[in-house]
Amino acid sequence: MGKYILKRVLQFIPVFLGVTLILFALQNIVPGDPIKLIGGEKALTPEVELQLRVKYHLVQVDDEGNAILDENGDPVPETLWNRYVFYMTGLLQGDLGSSYQRKLPVTDIFAAKYPYTAKLALCAIVLEAIMGIGAGIISAVKRYSFWDILVTLVTSVLVAVPAFWLGMLLQLFFGVQLHVLPISGAGGTASQYQDWVHYILPAVTLASVSTAYCARIMRSQLLDVMNQDYIRTAKAKGLSNRAIIWRHALKNALIPVVTYIGVDFGAMLSGAILTETVFNWPGIGYEMFRAISSRDWPIVMGGVTLVVLVVMVINLLVDVSYAFLDPRIRFDSSNKNA
Amino acid sequence: MADFKFHEPVMGRRAFVGGSLAASSLAFLAACGKKGGSSTAGSASGATSGAIVNYYINNPVCIDPYNVQEDQGTQVSFQLFDALTNFDYDKNEIVGLAAESWDASDDATEFTFHLRKGAKFHNGDAVDAEAFKRAWTRVVYPKSAVAMEYGPSEVSYHLSLVEGYDELAAGDTDEFAGLSCPDDLTFVVKLSAPYADFPFVASHPALAPVPAAAEDDAKNFYLAPIGNGPFQMDGKWEDGQEINLKKFDDYYGKNKAKVDGVHFTVQKDVETAWKEFQAGNLDICDVPVPQIDSAIKDRGESKDGYTMSDGQHTLLGGEPSVYYLVVNNTAAPFDNADVRRGVSMAINREAICKTLFKGTRTPADGIIPPGIDGYQEGAWEYSKYDVDAAKECLDKAGYPAGSDGSRGLKLTLSYNQDGGHKEIMESVIGDLEKVGLEVVSDTPEWSALLDQYQQLDYQFGRLGWIADYPIMDNFLYPLFHSDSLGGDNRSGYSNAEVDKGITEARATVDDQERLDKMHAVDKIIAADCPVIPLMFYSHVTAGSDRVKSFYLDPQKHAYLNRTELNA
Amino acid sequence: MNDNKTPQTIEEENEALLEEIHQKSDSSSPAASRTLWGDAFKRLRKNKLAVISVIWIIFVIIVALSADLWAKQWLGSPTAADSTTMAQNSTLPPSGEHPFGTDALGRDILVRVIYGARISLSVGVMATAISTILGLIMGALAGFYGGIWDTIIMRLADIFLAFPYVLFVVSLIAVLGRSLTNVFVAIGILGWPSIARVFRSAILTVKENDYVDAARSMGASDVRIIARHIFPNSVASIVVYATMNIGGAILTESSLSFLGMGVVPPTPSWGSMIQDGQAYLQTAPWMMIMPGLAILSTVLAFTLLGDGLRDALDVKMKDA
Repeated sequence: MGKYILKRVLQFIPVFLGVTLILFALQNIVPGDPIKLIGGEKALTPEVELQLRVKYHLVQVDDEGNAILDENGDPVPETLWNRYVFYMTGLLQGDLGSSYQRKLPVTDIFAAKYPYTAKLALCAIVLEAIMGIGAGIISAVKRYSFWDILVTLVTSVLVAVPAFWLGMLLQLFFGVQLHVLPISGAGGTASQYQDWVHYILPAVTLASVSTAYCARIMRSQLLDVMNQDYIRTAKAKGLSNRAIIWRHALKNALIPVVTYIGVDFGAMLSGAILTETVFNWPGIGYEMFRAISSRDWPIVMGGVTLVVLVVMVINLLVDVSYAFLDPRIRFDSSNKNA
Repeated sequence: MADFKFHEPVMGRRAFVGGSLAASSLAFLAACGKKGGSSTAGSASGATSGAIVNYYINNPVCIDPYNVQEDQGTQVSFQLFDALTNFDYDKNEIVGLAAESWDASDDATEFTFHLRKGAKFHNGDAVDAEAFKRAWTRVVYPKSAVAMEYGPSEVSYHLSLVEGYDELAAGDTDEFAGLSCPDDLTFVVKLSAPYADFPFVASHPALAPVPAAAEDDAKNFYLAPIGNGPFQMDGKWEDGQEINLKKFDDYYGKNKAKVDGVHFTVQKDVETAWKEFQAGNLDICDVPVPQIDSAIKDRGESKDGYTMSDGQHTLLGGEPSVYYLVVNNTAAPFDNADVRRGVSMAINREAICKTLFKGTRTPADGIIPPGIDGYQEGAWEYSKYDVDAAKECLDKAGYPAGSDGSRGLKLTLSYNQDGGHKEIMESVIGDLEKVGLEVVSDTPEWSALLDQYQQLDYQFGRLGWIADYPIMDNFLYPLFHSDSLGGDNRSGYSNAEVDKGITEARATVDDQERLDKMHAVDKIIAADCPVIPLMFYSHVTAGSDRVKSFYLDPQKHAYLNRTELNA
Repeated sequence: MNDNKTPQTIEEENEALLEEIHQKSDSSSPAASRTLWGDAFKRLRKNKLAVISVIWIIFVIIVALSADLWAKQWLGSPTAADSTTMAQNSTLPPSGEHPFGTDALGRDILVRVIYGARISLSVGVMATAISTILGLIMGALAGFYGGIWDTIIMRLADIFLAFPYVLFVVSLIAVLGRSLTNVFVAIGILGWPSIARVFRSAILTVKENDYVDAARSMGASDVRIIARHIFPNSVASIVVYATMNIGGAILTESSLSFLGMGVVPPTPSWGSMIQDGQAYLQTAPWMMIMPGLAILSTVLAFTLLGDGLRDALDVKMKDA
């Protein structure tokens, strides 16, 4: 087991280096000069522009920290590789640099925002697990009943609905028409609602599509398992339906569902750009989206670094939890499908 | 960013793309379940907050004068600091604030400011000439403590005309040669070129004085600046969350704050803020465009557009800023003045203002907005809606209409489609198609677009210009002088006559004479029509019933010290 | 597509299902596949939802393609709005004259929805085509040659899937610039890892079959073996996958447009219409409701058709 985890962690490294390197390459390809953008509609003076480039390690500097100029008097851009090495060195020391636009350290910005993303993801995943698994079980057990049809219908629609649009409809109905739920934001001193109330609509929106998939997987898995020989045997032995489902079928049917929920949780923890945009949620998804538009690379880099790490850890946890759910899986070195 | 949301009449002069969202996690943790219990100075819930004004802002870029630029940070900084001067819109003249008076030399290159006696910073330090020298030096000097921590100030250009700027900005010296302090209350500024309007420059909040703490403890000062204004910080600026100010009792001026404090609530955008306002959580808030009609109906409209009083809680005052089409004068087809004129006259500005802005913005009739000393109605002859004249110009330019009405001229309009610009540009395109022009959209992201503009790699696009100081010079010099090419002059316009006229006007000390010279320059530019002004901005700000009196000047500086709340 | 979803999470389910389909179709020799398709078609015709979906999709295609002939004349231009009409028609609620109402610029929303269908359908089809072709090539390389190819391609797939999906599309658009073609390309490129995985596992199962060995011993080239023997056996799963993927691509396009990273205005797209409507949520809700319904109905049709195809191609999976 320990060996397996170690192996997986070592596998992270190339993927992680690949992701960060691609992002760094991106900075050079994407049109738009992030430093000029700081000025916006008013142009920066050339001196200030150069000073900013020096500060953010975008140009080569001499030993005294002054920019090196070429024969035309233009600064020499720092090589991509040097900047990458510099970034990774900083990263190892817990320093992600400062935002171009906002001047503040990236770590401070994410320390403030990440809890919102994490808490929203947690709410959504709990909702998804309860609703999805519940609906899936009902639908499978009461096959062809009214409930089964309802679940099938609702899940089909949820899968086809753009989540951001669903979010807006919820705002329209519960916020604008009924005035029973806050429309946006995460609460705070200025809100008339308790803070937890602010989580309801974003969490429902974020969970909607996944819940539908979760219910569908649960249903098909359970039906699948119930067709297996050992369940038929159990039935033949006269065990009650309920006992069969709870004692035997469910445990096996749950494995793919748990995998799905785990992977989905990782995805939610990466920040939900659309949900956050619709609900003005102060999480990292929206922050990163804005950062891409404004070419605020330190925030993009920091965000993706964070997100990739989180996703990898969650995926690892999901795989490890297999071992507990399914005793057939052993983490020996020849294991391929974990 | 400066143009991210068009619902916000003026959104900062500088890119504000990184603007953040609502409260931080700490606030969340602290606030969990405590609703109704706490009554800290910052607590916003209606009546419990006493004489605290709850004020909507977006997350500012900076509140330390060091780098204060967009209007959100300016609003906070304006409460905390008093610069040397201030433009009094009632009297329509520049008046002293931290300075009692000033003298200008005859050639407009030396200005002597006489400071007020007994003025104090919030920490008790005296506001002396040295405080100004310190403040101005740290803005320009790239190795100042604050610069080392947060990067160079992006607004050092304010002082570029002061002697010794280049050496200081290059880091060759730490002494600002053009500034001297003959005694504690006398501050002398020497310019490297004549600039009679310099007292206007000195009114900018970025040029406010700072105490020694600003350099000794730059990091804390940046988040909790110590100023000389009517309000002082109550706690520090929590990024994306809130900023609390309390009344400064030792304020020197006669305008001591009437309220106990100000609670700036940081909101992501005006739509969210408006919902909070409707919920009774804000006293002063901007109004999103779709809500303007109902705001006026519910809140009552202010007569002058700048002053709130009972029953008149909606401000619709104009601002000294202009929304215009920027045109590449250096390449075909817009190197032909008749094409520029024709396009300009084909656009129905009135309809755009009425439909998209409910009439709160006004059609531009020149580049100088009303409210700026020297505004003249109908200043630019081609900034009007006249389809026949537009067609004539286009005929004359060599693009006659064919039998199907098409002129065989295909134009590319480059703009960023966020922040509501899409709607404005789409209606411009509709108007241009009506006179037989074919227009295609090119909508790169803002960042890429700025590169295109700067490298003159475009045909025509859109920009906004918001004055730093309310003077004609602050429009004509940056937008049209050839010194500004590669900087704010993005149309590539260069006219020796204009350059000469502006330089002459700058050296003219007599106000009226200077204005006349500026008018002459404006006239030359108007005939060339190098850019196409579309609209003048205005603010749309509403107040709650708690607000008894409130004044917002055209530059959107709130005079919160004069604000009164109903008990 | 839901923003928290990588294609991985959605496809994971499909993958499992498709593998089973594949095993089913795999058991039949290439010669038997014709009857498989014939049977499948018969079964599909009995599936009411699938039939309705096909009819709806065909209807949308016809309406979108023929719009130039009648829609403009009836409802006005979907793009241009000169300022005079704008002033008169701004944000009118649905009525006989404007069945879906008008937007802030006074343009008819129905005509914009109709023209928006062109964007959505073309993005759905083109992006799916790109990711399918790319996925087939990558999957073939990984599955057929194995070894270092397999390692590189699968690690590359991991890297692609490790990114937050929407953020990745947004970044790609930022690199490529904003245009309809680039929207195809960005969504298409990001779709390859999941189909590559499906095809790879399909190849792995088929590769060991006797007839593949036989073909090889008779001197058939690799390309020929893949094209003649492996591809036909996987085509059922690929068709089902692609159909469902069209719906997914339409959703992704709408998300992109909603974020302002989609097609260039004034070309209407359903997602950008919803974005336009966001500010008018309280005053003119029809601006966002109508294009949303268009997305919902079209994506639903593709999903149901995909479900139907899946069931039709494999009786055992009917329950799922």
